[in-house]
Amino acid sequence: MKKQTKQHPSTTAFNAVSLTKPVTLIVLLSAMLIVTGCKNIPPVTSGVGTDQIAPGQKFEKHLQVDNPDLGKKLHISDIRSRTNNDLLEINLSLTSTYKKTLHLQYQFTWFDKDGFIIEAGKSPWQPLDLHGMQTATVPGLAPTTKAATFKIYIREVAEQYFKFAD
Amino acid sequence: MNKLIMITSVALTLTLVAGCTNKSVVRYGDANAVETTNIDFGSTDLQKVAGEMTDSLLVSPVIGTLTANNRPILFVESIKNKTSEHIDTESITDSISTKLLRSGKFRFVDMSRVAAARKQLDYQQSSGMVDPSKAMQFGKQVGAQYMLYGNLASIVKSNQDQSDVYYKFTLRLMDLESGLVEWADETEIRKTKGKEFVSW
Repeated sequence: MKKQTKQHPSTTAFNAVSLTKPVTLIVLLSAMLIVTGCKNIPPVTSGVGTDQIAPGQKFEKHLQVDNPDLGKKLHISDIRSRTNNDLLEINLSLTSTYKKTLHLQYQFTWFDKDGFIIEAGKSPWQPLDLHGMQTATVPGLAPTTKAATFKIYIREVAEQYFKFAD
Repeated sequence: MNKLIMITSVALTLTLVAGCTNKSVVRYGDANAVETTNIDFGSTDLQKVAGEMTDSLLVSPVIGTLTANNRPILFVESIKNKTSEHIDTESITDSISTKLLRSGKFRFVDMSRVAAARKQLDYQQSSGMVDPSKAMQFGKQVGAQYMLYGNLASIVKSNQDQSDVYYKFTLRLMDLESGLVEWADETEIRKTKGKEFVSW
């Protein structure tokens, strides 16, 4: 690039002249606008979920919607729990109210009877494709017999694009 | 006029290049988040397979009976990799055995460390360095009652626009004395990669 600039020693003087020409001015201004608008937008990672629920409690009172856009397309329609082989087992039903497929990920977090987290940082996000208007039921199983309450969170699979700023 | 066009285009290119350079940035990521970098077997697949298999084993009625009054002793044989990819299947069995062990329902013997254990016992017994009354004895280990083994298979298809991969993971638990398969389950994963228009 430097070489190219050196080949045109008249650049500075030339720019001063060309800036006065309306066509060049418009082209330059629009180019600058595009360039300043071109940036990497971090993906939306908020979603919908619940706070700590103990088995037998009504889940409706624990729902929280952090992402209203996703909340319009998706809602938690049922949460059931039982003890199976001494382990807390959850069935989570998700209903889509959106006509297109939602690419989601969900995570269960487990807490003991004192509200302390169990196996912190080891609960993976599970991918889930929810087709248009579909209701899917996904299972969750506590990693140890100590689990007394649980939390659920659902968000979209993060995809990062280079976008022009909105 | 030609000069004008040339200079303008050079200036534009320079501005574009300067404004939209891809800077390399290092960040810590969430090891548990869904990862979609490419279609190959990835961390999410490993976590999904290990999680589903462990959950299925832990809630099966047979295991409920087996673990009612004792903690059965297992050993992990291996997962045969029948896919076209190089996959570290030991990493999958490590995850599964760790989860099972941490659930408090099972105990494990580790066949991959037998040589090291023998070397240590040899040292304790015959080096003359260890107090004989405190040395660990040979012949006191407990044998595994069950064997955990499985397969990982894949079907890969692709055309110009799309690639599709399907993984099937099968896991079985065999009673070593009777040879009966007490429990088996399989889990599937489908991943597709296609071109998608980026929306502005």
